[in-house]
Amino acid sequence: MKPKKCNINDPECHLDRIRDWHGDLEANITTLIENLKDIKKHSEEAKGACSKHYAKTVELTKAKTRFTYEVSHELKAPLASVYNIINVILDGYLDKDFKKQKELLNRAKVRINDLTKLLNDLLMFSRLEEGTGKIEIEKINTRELLPPLIEEMDSFAKENNIKIKWDFPNNLPHIYGNTELLNRVFVNIIHNAIKYSNQGNLVKVMGKGKNHLFLLEVKDEGIGIKKEELPKIYNIFFRGENARPEHKKEGMGLGLSLVKRIIDTHGGSIKVKSNLNKGTTVTLSFPAIQKKEK
Amino acid sequence: MLKEILIVDDDPDFVETMEIILQGNGYETRTARNGEEAFKKVREKIPDIILLDIMMKTKTDGIWVSEKIRSDDKLKKIPIIMITAVNQDSEMAKFHLGQEKDMEYMPVNAFMEKPIEAKDLLKEIKKLIGGPK
Repeated sequence: MKPKKCNINDPECHLDRIRDWHGDLEANITTLIENLKDIKKHSEEAKGACSKHYAKTVELTKAKTRFTYEVSHELKAPLASVYNIINVILDGYLDKDFKKQKELLNRAKVRINDLTKLLNDLLMFSRLEEGTGKIEIEKINTRELLPPLIEEMDSFAKENNIKIKWDFPNNLPHIYGNTELLNRVFVNIIHNAIKYSNQGNLVKVMGKGKNHLFLLEVKDEGIGIKKEELPKIYNIFFRGENARPEHKKEGMGLGLSLVKRIIDTHGGSIKVKSNLNKGTTVTLSFPAIQKKEK
Repeated sequence: MLKEILIVDDDPDFVETMEIILQGNGYETRTARNGEEAFKKVREKIPDIILLDIMMKTKTDGIWVSEKIRSDDKLKKIPIIMITAVNQDSEMAKFHLGQEKDMEYMPVNAFMEKPIEAKDLLKEIKKLIGGPK
């Protein structure tokens, strides 16, 4: 606005000009305050986002450190036992007991095999986790893939006096996936069902197609999982209280945590229902190949 | 009477090789596979020293046992050697000791890291309780 012209002898006019300036100044200050309020609001929002991000980063770093700690423990404890076994033999503690020497060396061999299994699993886990490395995907005929896997586990079941009953209809849906990884999933779930069953129990394995999905249900009558432990079963190295100690002797690799990663990579899902001392039902589902695609 | 060592670890191979070494050097041994069993055995008969694994995959681990023992007037003087599988880095140990506690404040007499050399272990035991007789 153009400033008003005033006669030098007209104080009222000058006062008006001053009032106008004052008004303008007041308006400018109000705008400035509004702008400052805006800036404050944005900076608070940014601060909030930053601290959220920071908390997430701290959490991830902690999880990573914990993971490293647990992996170190899982690798080092068996190595220490193997080292001890070699030492007691080399140091001559068992010079008069060849039978014991042989027994311990066999146990060392089992521990080394377990370690190899664990290392392979860790590599696979990190590949799946990062999404690096190509996974070859092919069409899988589940009806042909599953029965031989179960037959292979039948002797393990019989040793423990457990019966496996399976049912796969001829029209079982085909799925896309990596055969080796999915074998791993199916074997792990069925093997767990046998391992955590009691003598004389039945393990039922049923496959079916439903709503464009391939479903595999593995049901046992075994020791079950505690309710409060269910959310933890996919955690790396987790082992339920109820599962100890006789199930521990076997080297287990990464178990369900790896299974879950593989299923996720295949766009599938896993559901576990369990009643303590009554049994566990695991249901896997994968997108089925539609008939016209076959 | 021979001095008795209680070996507490959930790894049966580790326990057995420790027994071979310690018995071979004249000590008597008893074993426990988890914290609860260890505490029960300590109360049944007080051992001369305890070899205690810090991280057992059981509900009750080495930390639990050492705290239980140290808060019991009759038991609190039993020497404890804490065995760790990973290094004693206190950052790592804090995961097991709770965030406020530190490895330095652990109520144990010594730490040893796996793998354990028999001669180092025997030296440590001798320092704390003397020879087997």
